Amino acid sequence: MTILELMERVGTKNETLTIAYIKDAIHLLQSNTKEKIKSNKQDIINAHDGNDNIYRFPSDMIALENVSILDTSDSKYKRIKRLTSQPHYLIEDVSP
Amino acid sequence: MSSYVDKDYFYYLRGREILLYKMLGSRNQNRISQSGVLQSYDNELSYPDEDIVNGLRLEYTALNEPFVAEAIEDTSSVTSGIGISFTLGSPSFISDSNSGFTFATGDKIRIVGSSSNDQEGQVASSGTITTSRIDIGSGTIATEAAGQRITITQIPKEVASTSVDSTSSINLNKMLCLAVVDYVKAMIHEERGEIDKKEYYIKEFYSKLADNESNKRNISVAFPVSPFAVR
Repeated sequence: MTILELMERVGTKNETLTIAYIKDAIHLLQSNTKEKIKSNKQDIINAHDGNDNIYRFPSDMIALENVSILDTSDSKYKRIKRLTSQPHYLIEDVSP
Repeated sequence: MSSYVDKDYFYYLRGREILLYKMLGSRNQNRISQSGVLQSYDNELSYPDEDIVNGLRLEYTALNEPFVAEAIEDTSSVTSGIGISFTLGSPSFISDSNSGFTFATGDKIRIVGSSSNDQEGQVASSGTITTSRIDIGSGTIATEAAGQRITITQIPKEVASTSVDSTSSINLNKMLCLAVVDYVKAMIHEERGEIDKKEYYIKEFYSKLADNESNKRNISVAFPVSPFAVR
């Protein structure tokens, strides 16, 4: 369906606003269903200090579907489990 | 080398960040630092202690290519067979000995099944476009002889956000396009202060989303015939 056809169906002539509404609708749709899935890959780095295990979500992400890690021994991405709470610092290792 | 990652790695969601942890007590004994060692119940967790190129993969939904050059119902050209070969040159082209190509100039295509040319590309906007040969306009291909079963599928071609106009199509199937119509109607009624109508159209919007999902999940149920029915 073209934008023009949609505008005729809803009875509006404001093209810019209609395009904005369509983007909003697709955003809402992608938040509720999984119509189109994207993937993003990031390098895992050998952590050397306290914030090296932090990775950012892609800036265009609406809803996260799954997280996986590359198993280099058989070249497959394998899904990993989510921790429901952040681990507490129970042991302070003074001689690692 | 990473292995058993599905058992060793865990993630925790913190706002717009994802925190990775690795089980320390399994295969890797290298503790990274004083602050990097954690303990959870009986198992110690640490921060990742190895470099893995492209090691973290996230699947997610996004506002991805909202507008395309033609309706997705019209992007239906597909060719599959073992007679497809690739030639690198000027121009580079794809041949089909079975003359099965139905692509038009400028079509965006996805190649799968090839050992060296699995990719997305585009048919040239000019040149030789026939049922047995298509020139490639974008994407670099490698020379490859026929023999493998290869499928080339037309896929929707995105319209850049700066070029979107009233002739652009919405990158959704017909059912979801109708849902978008309801959404836009709802927003227009909201603008006018007609909240009851807005609520009606939003309900229609979600109804069509649900319909679209259930359309993919038709389930057939078969009941065995009772032996007592035999006469």
